Amino acid sequence: MRMLGTFGSGVMTVALLGFAVSLTLPCKAEPADDADFVALQVDARKSFKEVVTPFVDTYCSRCHGQDRQRGGINFAPALKKPGESASSHRWKQAVAMVKSHDMPPDNAPKQPTEEERQKFLDGIGKIKFLSSKDPGAFVIRRLTKVEYGNTLHDLLGVDQKVADDLPDEVFGEGYLNTLSPLQSEQYLAIANEALDRILGPKDGTPTKAQKRLFGQTPGAGADERAAARKVARSLARNAYRRPPTDPELDVLVRVFDLARENKLAYPEALRLMLKAVLVSPQFLFITPAMEAESGRSIVPLDDHQLASRLSYLLWATMPDAELSTLADRGKLHEPAVLRAQVKRLLEDPRSRALFDGFGAQWLGLGSLEGKTFDTAKFPQMTGAMRSAMYDEARLFFESIVRENRSVVSLVDCDYTFLNGTLAELYGLDKKVTGPRWRKVKLTDANRGGILGMPGILAVTSFPDRTSPVKRGVWVLEQVLGEHVPPPPPNVPALEKQDKQTVENLTLRQRTELHVKDPTCANCHKVLDPIGFGLENFDAIGRWRDQDDAGGAIDAAGELLGGKRFASPKELKTIIAARTDDLARNVTEKLLAYALCRQLEGYDEIVVDNLMETIAKDGYRMQTLITEIVKSYPFTHRRIQEQQIASSHEK
Amino acid sequence: MKSNFLINRRTCLKGIGATLALPLLESMGWAEPDNGKPDKPPVRLGFMYMPHGVIMDQFWPADAQSFLSSPPPALESLRPVLDQCLLMKGISGVAIAPFNGAPHALELSTWLTAMLPDANTRNRINIGISADQIAANYVGGFTSLPSLELATMPQTHKENQEGLNEGYYTHCSFRSATQPVPAEINPRSVLNRLFGKSDRPGHIRQADPLDRQMLDLVIGGAKDLRKKLPQDDQHKLDEYLDSVRAVERRIAAIEFRQKEAALEKAGVSVSKRNASDSPPIEVKIPEGDKRSEYMQVMCDLNVLAFQTDTTRVSTYIGSTPNGVSYPELGFRNEHHSQTHHNNEAEKVRKVAAITAFNIAQFAYMVKKMHGLREGDGTLLDNCIMMWGSGLEDGNIHERKNLPFIIAGKGGGSINTGRFLPDTKGNQGDLLTTLLGCAGVPLDRPIGIATKQITEMTTRS
Repeated sequence: MRMLGTFGSGVMTVALLGFAVSLTLPCKAEPADDADFVALQVDARKSFKEVVTPFVDTYCSRCHGQDRQRGGINFAPALKKPGESASSHRWKQAVAMVKSHDMPPDNAPKQPTEEERQKFLDGIGKIKFLSSKDPGAFVIRRLTKVEYGNTLHDLLGVDQKVADDLPDEVFGEGYLNTLSPLQSEQYLAIANEALDRILGPKDGTPTKAQKRLFGQTPGAGADERAAARKVARSLARNAYRRPPTDPELDVLVRVFDLARENKLAYPEALRLMLKAVLVSPQFLFITPAMEAESGRSIVPLDDHQLASRLSYLLWATMPDAELSTLADRGKLHEPAVLRAQVKRLLEDPRSRALFDGFGAQWLGLGSLEGKTFDTAKFPQMTGAMRSAMYDEARLFFESIVRENRSVVSLVDCDYTFLNGTLAELYGLDKKVTGPRWRKVKLTDANRGGILGMPGILAVTSFPDRTSPVKRGVWVLEQVLGEHVPPPPPNVPALEKQDKQTVENLTLRQRTELHVKDPTCANCHKVLDPIGFGLENFDAIGRWRDQDDAGGAIDAAGELLGGKRFASPKELKTIIAARTDDLARNVTEKLLAYALCRQLEGYDEIVVDNLMETIAKDGYRMQTLITEIVKSYPFTHRRIQEQQIASSHEK
Repeated sequence: MKSNFLINRRTCLKGIGATLALPLLESMGWAEPDNGKPDKPPVRLGFMYMPHGVIMDQFWPADAQSFLSSPPPALESLRPVLDQCLLMKGISGVAIAPFNGAPHALELSTWLTAMLPDANTRNRINIGISADQIAANYVGGFTSLPSLELATMPQTHKENQEGLNEGYYTHCSFRSATQPVPAEINPRSVLNRLFGKSDRPGHIRQADPLDRQMLDLVIGGAKDLRKKLPQDDQHKLDEYLDSVRAVERRIAAIEFRQKEAALEKAGVSVSKRNASDSPPIEVKIPEGDKRSEYMQVMCDLNVLAFQTDTTRVSTYIGSTPNGVSYPELGFRNEHHSQTHHNNEAEKVRKVAAITAFNIAQFAYMVKKMHGLREGDGTLLDNCIMMWGSGLEDGNIHERKNLPFIIAGKGGGSINTGRFLPDTKGNQGDLLTTLLGCAGVPLDRPIGIATKQITEMTTRS
């Protein structure tokens, strides 16, 4: 904490203090905070030594210790460096296995008591305090396909579609941030295409864009290199999203010279220079404006880098004039300024990028367009219906964000958005007709919120029928943020039962066979009931009282912990009541998206702190997003050398 | 161990890019730069992938003797070219622990690397350079495209298994340990990339030498920027530099071809093509969304790229592990859901149909290659085409006998028309052998390889 306070300007110190205060609740002064944190660390170290380590030694090491690694799993490295991010996956695995009683295996010589298990889980829960404070690396990041297209549009005024040929890619968490010869070649081809479109033919009259970007051609006798340098400065300021350095301008002027030496006219020479801008790493990547001070391992982002990070997060495009000005003036990182900018960006229509990028991926709707459905059974699943399903979720998500509602409304809400196409699935086609979208108040409490939304119910189904298992996994992982372990590699056959008997069972009865098999039961007793609770919705999200075979739907069930429900409506109420889990899950997923990486190690403490602030404000979406933008890992980066296993480097 | 696998230490390639830069272009063409013998067509190397494994008793021939006369049902489409094919049973995959919960991410990402991702940095890509990219590093400088990567599905599937980076689920080509290579899925843009926007095969778009010189200046600027950045950022910039240099080479290659074409027009014969060679095939981009037509046009593009020596290395991810259906086969079930068939007849039938379908697309490609004259033989004679899957049996995720089909004689280095029922080796051995047959010198075995599988080659 204190070390960070010495960075940069006095304003920065205030910002960081703001963060320090949010670290733990009751304390006001920084030293007390530190003392608190130190106390937590001491406690974590103690329980690691006295609880976690003996538990692993007693129950795990026989197969997963020292030189043994049954299933490829060995605890020795994690025991040595428990707080390192490389160990966090190991601990997560251990928690899942011990919690579900999958480990130690039934044939182990000794089983822990329930109390021992719980203490072990609690001890692992504290390991996060052993992580050192670390924002994670923010390696210079290439613009995604979508960001690149949008940026070309904002910069040059060309249609975003000019970038369509680039390979599609995952963004947010899991973003690969690599560059191949293919992409580089396409960047050059796209730059050519874009310039052809906006600059018009050689020797033609200059287009509007040309005048805007290149200014006047200097008259005879004027210093055209000086003029070109001026143009280079303005082009690069916008395209690089930060002031260019003098050496960067030198390169661009050399490109201008190259063109002139090859007898290109002045405007043509500027065209080549602009092309050079568009294939430069400073344009294709988000790069820092300033060289990091040597000797530091963690630095705050400079304001220009922060402006880009923020703008690409909420708009998927380059910073606009207001953000750029704030960055130029060195004001953007001030918490009040940052908060106001988040609000402004979210209220702008461009923030639909947050749904297209984050929301759709989170809800799984990205796969809707290409998903196969049994068209004989579901002729409704036309392209129009699929995009209507997507738009409903988008408009709903956007309304929750723009109206700054609680994250709980995502699950439990009494309205949605419909057009004529989608209204058919809701049985509201008499009320809502035509292509126009409108907000519709819902009277059926089984609907309203993501659990009863056709698009989501459809992507969690098979092409021809519902899948209670898929839906259960979806709710647990995507809505509540729990980790469902994958099925064991050698799944025993449910069909070992008499085939005839199985075929006569309902889908529910067949699915319930999971729970009879001990290998499957641990997980399926948790996830199947959730899926049963949504069985009233068919594979494309229509309400039904009977299943395909004509049997009555049984949507009753009980969740772990004894909460019972008899309908989607009641299931929804139970899920919505888990406010902390819901909010934490959305926060974690959005933070990972914003950082373009998985969360690990110290991030858990960051999220803990965010949750306190967010909870105090009633879990409002804008607060959640603002807190992520203001958070330590979003505003800082680690620049020290990464240690990558050298055996893998070629 | 080391001396066993080494094929040729003549050249030792270090690092990506391998700086096979501009001067080499002058020697572009089929002749080896130093031997002065008559032109010999180059060996091309192609890989085509299907996930989830096969129905074993419908894939493996009954025995070595009956292989040609009564092939198993899965290979029916290859019947006319079986004498050009080689099957080896007994190639095992990399053991995937500690990633047992991620069989499908691993079946694809280990396919051409023959090694596991680094477990300690599993949330990033950190595996190893793949066999196709090793080959591209060596022969890529001779052609205008170092390699061609194709896929049927966009590589955007997100599925987080065992904490592994999602990229492992959709990529099999890695240019370096940390750099997955994206694949093209749009046949039209592949065609444009190969031959310019004219849609006329063999016609090359105009290259602008100024673009190449401009890129040179941009590279200089990027190097300045690199000096000021911390180490991690520098690695990213190295990827940038590597990929832009590849574009420079490509422009230079196009320039070279243009010069060649101009000379030919003026009556100077510079072509390395034989008069007996078949003319470039025609590629028609289909309008509908039939999967077979789509895959066949991708195969056509692969054939055309090899035939015109636009590239010598290709990788086609014909299908990925996630949610792929084959409505053309009369059912809409997803491939994966059927592979956990528990020997249920209906599901087994569907998996067998999907496998036969995928092999039929591969057969379409190699048959086409077999029908094209090149030098004294056919195009296929000078290719090594590998079809395969990353699992033996999708039902239980077994990886002991991975299904592979090799087609083509690799310029006379592969002994085809055989089924080797009892091969001892792993997927690294196989890849190491194939690269050896393609004349690619290695400075180390690929992944888990310990040897070459000599019984595959004509040398044994």
